[in-house]
Amino acid sequence: MPCKHYKEALIEAAASGAAPSGELRLHFGECASCREAFAQEQFLFSAIDSDRHAAANAEVPASLVPRVRARLEETIAPRLGWMQPLVLASACVALAFAVFLMARPHHAAPEEVAKQGPVMVPAPTAPKTNANPEKISPSGSQIGALRVNHFQVASSNREVLVPPDEREGLAHLVATLNERRDFAVALRAQRPEKKDGLVTVDPLQISDIEIKPLEGTETETSDGAGETH
Amino acid sequence: MQELVLSQPVSTVRSELVREAARADAQREFEERLAECGPLAYRVARSVLRNTADAEDVAQEALLRAYKGFERLRDRTHFRGWLVRISFRLALDKLRSGKRREQRDTLWSQPAHLPPPLTAEDVVASNQFQNHLERALDGLPEKFRLVLLLSAMEGYTVEEIAAMIGVPLGTVKSRIFLARKKLAEKLRCHANTIKRR
Ligand SMILES: [Zn+2]
Repeated sequence: MPCKHYKEALIEAAASGAAPSGELRLHFGECASCREAFAQEQFLFSAIDSDRHAAANAEVPASLVPRVRARLEETIAPRLGWMQPLVLASACVALAFAVFLMARPHHAAPEEVAKQGPVMVPAPTAPKTNANPEKISPSGSQIGALRVNHFQVASSNREVLVPPDEREGLAHLVATLNERRDFAVALRAQRPEKKDGLVTVDPLQISDIEIKPLEGTETETSDGAGETH
Repeated sequence: MQELVLSQPVSTVRSELVREAARADAQREFEERLAECGPLAYRVARSVLRNTADAEDVAQEALLRAYKGFERLRDRTHFRGWLVRISFRLALDKLRSGKRREQRDTLWSQPAHLPPPLTAEDVVASNQFQNHLERALDGLPEKFRLVLLLSAMEGYTVEEIAAMIGVPLGTVKSRIFLARKKLAEKLRCHANTIKRR
């Protein structure tokens, strides 16, 4: 057993790893018990430190980084996965839109168009509805007719792509325009004149790809069957 | 009207592409850090769990979480500190969840300056000491334990550890000193299991 007076001092000295102070060193010279206790403490701290060192510097398995990389790939791949069809869909829709703009009739003057009024053709609800065109516009003196069946296209009417959820609003607008012809004319007259050659088309994105039918062009129904007009 | 109806998704695609580009940048930068920070995460976990397979699982999980939070953790010191803490936390959770693998890795608590144990008795004695040491470590306050294991890690100075975990240098030093003393107090009565040769 070490001397009670020096016990704390020798533990502190062993813990700090520093050489014992002058007084302690002098005591060690004359007390074998404290000398032995100090050596035991040094050994204990050395065992603790050795353990910590071994644990903290264990060899890293070579598989760690590759496994993390693989799991990162798994995490990232699905995220990119939905982006690719999205971009593709945008490109397809933009292309279809560009073709539509180029193929639509250009001979009507703006005034005539205003008189004629907008004829709206919404996106198809289903390809099989082409037998019965459905008139949505309510008025008999219609400015325009809202035709659901887009496959039956045989006029020079202008066409607008209308998402299904906006058809009701469009029908309402058409009805309003039918009632207020003057408003429709004013609306058309305010549009800045644009040369067709300068029409620019931004890439677009919608969730479903729908190739819009065009006059005299071949389209594909969703079941893959081609149809010529 | 045409543009009005259809122009909104364009900005969505653009911003999504910008975000994807930023993610790709972050991924590249993160991969560069993996070489440095993978071992750090692993060693923290290994120090707590004392089992290679468990430590690897924990390090992986910590690194994946670090990747998810990488945007706001790009500063190297913050990133390391965060990674160390999350590895430490996950390792402690695993240790206490009971899901830890029973098999512990081979004996490695033998003091470096001592010759390896020669007899079966020596091995048993050393294993006993290691068990006592593990229990003593588990009884340490977490903040002491974290600093203690980081200070044993090669390649990190006390100053770096202080910066890493955002604690003053003096606090780090005193925590190391106190933690070692606490361990010694608990192990003193078992010191006879590691007889000096
Ligand atoms: Zn004495």
